[in-house]
Amino acid sequence: MNTQLFLFRELLGAIRTRSALFFVLSGMLLFLFLTCVASFFMIAPSLENTSTDGQPIEELRVFLSPRLSSSTIDQWFLDWRERDDVAGIRFQFAQEYDKTDSGGVFIVSPADPALASELASEFRSIDGVTEVVEIPREPIIEASSISLVIRIVLLVILVLAIAASLFCFRRGYRELLRGFSGEVRMLRLSGISERMLGALIVALGGLLGLLVGLFLLAALFLFHQIALFNTAAFSQFGGLTSGIRVLSVGMATLVLGVVLGALAGLLGASLLHGREFDALP
Amino acid sequence: MIQVSELHFSTEDGVKVLEDIHLRVEQGELMMILGPAASGKSLLLGLLGAQITPQRGQILVHGRNVGRLGPDKMLSLRRRIGVVPQGFMPLPRTVRDNVLFKLRALGNYVEQAEEKVLFALETTGLIRQQGSDARELSSIDRVRLGISLAICNDPLLLLIDEPFEGLSEDEKAEVARLLCRMNTGHLSILVATRGPVPPGLEMSRRVRLVDGMVKGA
Repeated sequence: MNTQLFLFRELLGAIRTRSALFFVLSGMLLFLFLTCVASFFMIAPSLENTSTDGQPIEELRVFLSPRLSSSTIDQWFLDWRERDDVAGIRFQFAQEYDKTDSGGVFIVSPADPALASELASEFRSIDGVTEVVEIPREPIIEASSISLVIRIVLLVILVLAIAASLFCFRRGYRELLRGFSGEVRMLRLSGISERMLGALIVALGGLLGLLVGLFLLAALFLFHQIALFNTAAFSQFGGLTSGIRVLSVGMATLVLGVVLGALAGLLGASLLHGREFDALP
Repeated sequence: MIQVSELHFSTEDGVKVLEDIHLRVEQGELMMILGPAASGKSLLLGLLGAQITPQRGQILVHGRNVGRLGPDKMLSLRRRIGVVPQGFMPLPRTVRDNVLFKLRALGNYVEQAEEKVLFALETTGLIRQQGSDARELSSIDRVRLGISLAICNDPLLLLIDEPFEGLSEDEKAEVARLLCRMNTGHLSILVATRGPVPPGLEMSRRVRLVDGMVKGA
């Protein structure tokens, strides 16, 4: 076993009840923080925003009777194209929409979406037109359409959780190093570098962050499995049904957990500058 | 060999603690540094042990200039210098585990470290207490443990600060005999004490520090 591993094992062995409690608490707060981060990516777009009700009409599909002659269709095409209330027109075969259908379809883009319904009514009244379908514009779905209130609440929890977690980390390190101060003094006296001492503390933080990240990854996977069988119960967290999203968010939070744990370790390593750790009295 | 020349040291407030120290310690020599409290003895040991960087002057330890060493060379020099600090407090482990911890931390393998532990404890006469809790040792055994820790990694120089503090006359004489026994090979030993010099060490060379200056050698 090399020196670093030996010292790391000794450092872990110096964890006592009080320091363990602070580390568990800081781990739980870090878990809360990472859960909030993951939630941002798991919340599904709300159903109200995906509804097309009230959306302006983007195009009209005018289905033509198969009995119409090609010259009539040509004439209509030319006439309609010249209308002021038509911005564009193109012809398609009805089979493109329904294989059992026959005849043609004019795809008409209204010049003014507000007047599209009137245009549709006019087309419906023409003999030879079998059906007119009004196609509304697709709603623009934001990447995360959760409400502002939820966002603010999540952000507040994020900030509070990470601040409280760092505070608990520091208290945990203080307790731990208080019980390890004799060893630190002896190590310094024996010629062990400050870099190695600091690295041990940072590694402990990184390990805690890794454990929390792994725990969250496991929790995400569990919820992913549940969400697959019970979609309705997780309708607000639609992202949980996507395996790729769960895996990528889980891995990202795992890395974030390790980084934050290591940063907390740096905070703990700063405690080594205290006088109680000086090699000589 | 240790050679100190024109060594000065002041506190941040500008108070001179050591002033123009010149000192030479031969390889295998046992030297006593005598002086009242706050005369700079501990600071001098800290400087010689490469624990404190010198401000002015030169300290050569086995040919290496302590003030000019890079961080890595400074650490490797520290590993070859055994230090027993004043009021040494052992770790809350057994005597054996105290020494084993230091040796393992310095990169020794278990078997190698255990061999060195036995040798160090035999040298200081602590072998029978190797399983005892180090915090429950008597004052003299604590000194022995401190010395065991300092010599376990085969140092070139041994620095001991106030080893006779809190000991009875008989115990002081016993520590003195131990130091004389250890002073047979290449190991140079410097002992800082307020004095008086206990029986058994009368023949060793003495240096007196008063107000940060060497008054007699």
